[in-house]
Amino acid sequence: MNSVASKRLFQEYKHLTTDPPDGITAGPVNEDDLFVWEAMILGPEGTPYEGGVFPAELKFPKDYPLMPPTMRFLGSVWHPNVYPNGVVCISILHAPGDDPNHYEQASERWSPIQSVEKILISVMSMIAEPNDESPANVDAARMWRERRPEFEKRVRADVRRSLGL
Amino acid sequence: MAESTPQTSINIPQILTVALVGFFAIRWFLNKPASPSTPGSSASSSQRGQQPDLTKINQLATMFPQLDRRTIAWDLHRNGGSVPATTERVLSGRGLDAPPVTWQPNIAAPGQQAPATGTTSGSARKDGVGKREDDLITRYNLQGRVGGKGKEAVPSEEEQRRSTWSSDKAVRAEVLRKRREEMVLAARRKLEAKGA
Repeated sequence: MNSVASKRLFQEYKHLTTDPPDGITAGPVNEDDLFVWEAMILGPEGTPYEGGVFPAELKFPKDYPLMPPTMRFLGSVWHPNVYPNGVVCISILHAPGDDPNHYEQASERWSPIQSVEKILISVMSMIAEPNDESPANVDAARMWRERRPEFEKRVRADVRRSLGL
Repeated sequence: MAESTPQTSINIPQILTVALVGFFAIRWFLNKPASPSTPGSSASSSQRGQQPDLTKINQLATMFPQLDRRTIAWDLHRNGGSVPATTERVLSGRGLDAPPVTWQPNIAAPGQQAPATGTTSGSARKDGVGKREDDLITRYNLQGRVGGKGKEAVPSEEEQRRSTWSSDKAVRAEVLRKRREEMVLAARRKLEAKGA
């Protein structure tokens, strides 16, 4: 089981290195432990997150790819679908049958045919288009809904600060 | 004789009632200070009840980082400090009740550090990353490579994208590190040019 997961993670690492999607860098923090990755996502263009770089930690379970990894941004990300502690709430990271609220389609959730690349691309589009239905950060969601200019200003300031500017 | 019989038959239940009420009243008074605090009871008992078990709170906060520590403490406080009961309740999807505003247990101070140590148990997270460094320049030790006016050799887009796959583990790690750093530096250059 363990070697299945390791092999698969190694393959994904190789693929992401030789043919990385735009604005995404990902790989294990240390190759001795393929179950902990660090990924970087570039803020999508045309959004207040544009220009920002958002590092995140991915932790894979031993039975990957049967079960999805967890993902946590390492800096603070002010976003309706990111918990204040950085944990990302997105349907592709939810195990099949693990939907207490019944608002997600089974096809949106994790399955072994998904991949790290698909997760990161999904997160990128989630950053661009927050899902208002299931906010992980209620305050951010409210600000996004009711005071969009303030929300965007705050995100832009965070981006500049995160790059030391 | 005829008068005294109804007299006694009325008195026995009365005496019994008084005795029972008296018994419970005395019991209640004696037990009150020692019983687990009910909302709004005496100061000493609520003081005792507000002393939350930090180990249990930390444990639950690590399991469910999305939950507020005060909410966890409140649920523990109400179920008699049972971690399994709280866990069960969260996992069942019922969620925890919000604690009353007046209920302010002393869990704030450890609350500041607990999530940091709790959620960063990952191996390579100890070197200053544990405190959730927001500044990427500091995080990736790039201080020496920004701010200097001298233009650094900027790899072309093509060069950046086409990272090759080496068979050597160390080279791969190095390539990945460079890609990360370059991503941060490129973002900074871009934003600097835009903001200036």
